[in-house]
Amino acid sequence: MDTPTEDQVLEEIRRLAAVELEIVHPIEADHHLLKDLRLDSLGLTVVAVGLEDRFRIKLTEEDSAQISTVRDLARLVADRARGTAR
Amino acid sequence: MRGMAALVPKHDTLQSALEAASQSASGLTFVDLRERESFVSYREFHTRARRAAAFFVNLGIRPGDRIALIQSTSPEFVDAIFGAVLAGAIAVPLYPPLRLGKLDDYHAATARMLRVTEARLVVSERRLRLLLGRTLSKARPPLGCTLGDELTSGSEEFAAPATSEQVALIQFSSGATVDPKPVCLSHRGLLYQCAALHQVLIESSAPPHSGVSWLPLYHDMGLIGALFNAVYYPGHLVLIPPEHFLARPAIWLRAISRHRATASFGPNFGYALCVKRIREHEMQNVDLSSWRIAGNGAEPISMGIIRRFCEKFSRFGFDGRAFTPGYGLAEASLAVTYADVARGAKAVAVDPSRLASLGEAGDGDFEIVSVGRPLPGTEVEIRDSEGNCLPDRRVGRIHFRSPSVMTGYFGGFDSASLALSQGWVDTGDLGFSVDGELYVCGRAKDLVIIRGANHPPQEFESCLESVPGVRPGCAVALGFLPRDADGEQLLILAERAPGPEEGLEERIRSAVLERTGVLAHTVRILEPGTLPRTSSGKLRRHEALRQFLTHQLKAPRPVNALSMAGEVIRSAIGLAKLGLADEG
Repeated sequence: MDTPTEDQVLEEIRRLAAVELEIVHPIEADHHLLKDLRLDSLGLTVVAVGLEDRFRIKLTEEDSAQISTVRDLARLVADRARGTAR
Repeated sequence: MRGMAALVPKHDTLQSALEAASQSASGLTFVDLRERESFVSYREFHTRARRAAAFFVNLGIRPGDRIALIQSTSPEFVDAIFGAVLAGAIAVPLYPPLRLGKLDDYHAATARMLRVTEARLVVSERRLRLLLGRTLSKARPPLGCTLGDELTSGSEEFAAPATSEQVALIQFSSGATVDPKPVCLSHRGLLYQCAALHQVLIESSAPPHSGVSWLPLYHDMGLIGALFNAVYYPGHLVLIPPEHFLARPAIWLRAISRHRATASFGPNFGYALCVKRIREHEMQNVDLSSWRIAGNGAEPISMGIIRRFCEKFSRFGFDGRAFTPGYGLAEASLAVTYADVARGAKAVAVDPSRLASLGEAGDGDFEIVSVGRPLPGTEVEIRDSEGNCLPDRRVGRIHFRSPSVMTGYFGGFDSASLALSQGWVDTGDLGFSVDGELYVCGRAKDLVIIRGANHPPQEFESCLESVPGVRPGCAVALGFLPRDADGEQLLILAERAPGPEEGLEERIRSAVLERTGVLAHTVRILEPGTLPRTSSGKLRRHEALRQFLTHQLKAPRPVNALSMAGEVIRSAIGLAKLGLADEG
């Protein structure tokens, strides 16, 4: 697979949220994962494992420190897939 | 209530159980998210564990030392736990951090568990080691941290002699106190538990048996119920990392089908996830007809979920009679009771308000699932607050006595009271009996169980201290079973500080979610002084829950001596009348 763009990751997050977590309202890039999407520990695990599998990357527990919005997460995944993230 | 006669396990120690298993052709299959499988036989694990034991001993581990394992479900975890046991050490499995989870509380809790067990060494994995730095710098295990894949790199082998009295495992229990307590389990207790489960669950139907488990190996149900049991039997076991099950629940049922597994256990929420999230196309060619024992425990069981699971999956060969509810706690190694195999879940329908207000399981429409009878050699009593045994359908505290009971808490904490009670342990859970079967209906201890994980209420309550608008120290967190939900849910009762109340409920919800990863089901804002307190001013969580469930949470009226006297009389009359009022 080609390296994904941030938008492609965003789409995958939307898909996971809709299909796996049954979040019905539209998801915007600046939505906060906890405050707006209300992802609990199960929701976060589902999204993280889903993204890891789709984009062949590893998200670590440390990543939580840098992430608060959907955009932060999409950017991190895209960077990591490009091999440029820390 | 008393189980069948006590039995004698076929092994004295985990050492000899593993050695016997190594003579069989069975082993463990590890499945990943894409359902790729890898098999490691017990024969191989026996050798690998002997190497790990040599590694530990060469590092300076001595008999009785504690080795903490912070690892995900993997062959390396199995190496480490059996390696620790063969080295004569005590294994202390701890939960690894969650992906994208919040870490501050994790570091504090894990460092505490390392300290209270005085762990000399931590075994972890590459992915986690950097992250664990903060935990390790707080706890400072003398032998540091080693990686699971280093344990078996040498060729030297070792196995220390062991006795059945020796402690082999420490697991944490959430009891009535703030912090989880380290429960010490001996070889004898662990193997007794395996033998008892073997007799009531496995021997009752024709062999051969095999299992599938996605349960965390740092939890008794996964470690003892699945892994140790498979080694004891010995039989084939398929292991799925819990986070992969959470991400894609169909993996569980597909593995059962692929391997024609007969036994697989989960908590209520695992079955609920399957009902909710598995889609038609994921079940293509799946056949669940081999599944004879669908164990169900570790949290309150919802009859609704059991029915919906049966409705959804009977087309795929699932037989509802496979549902086998059970009840247990860390102090018992694992299980205290199990329902009869091949009967399916059975429930009594009670009146919830009578249950909450009078402690009587009278007829009504709220279903409580039977968790069965005591295991062989195990006794259960329902006692009132004075310690007297209660008759059927009267709610009291569940006490048990069992050969698989812990040897005590590590560090001697509370051990005197255990000895004094002649082996009887107060579970802190509330229940009643009907015709020799146990029904669990609540908790006297302060504990919230969300998706099989035990949370002390303080974990949620401490989040509220900094929420503006909440009266400081005047909020309680409780677990309850709402009628519309799939299992136990979080309830927050918080008194408001003077001032506007706008948005307070949302602020509370957000604060709790952000810190704990748990979304509250119900947040109720109360007038100051509404929550019941002890005479010394401490909040009474259990009473608060009772008042909430019976719609009695009311703001206080201004108090003076006269109104107080009136209150006493009114409440005495009220108590007498309550039963009649409820029937009317």
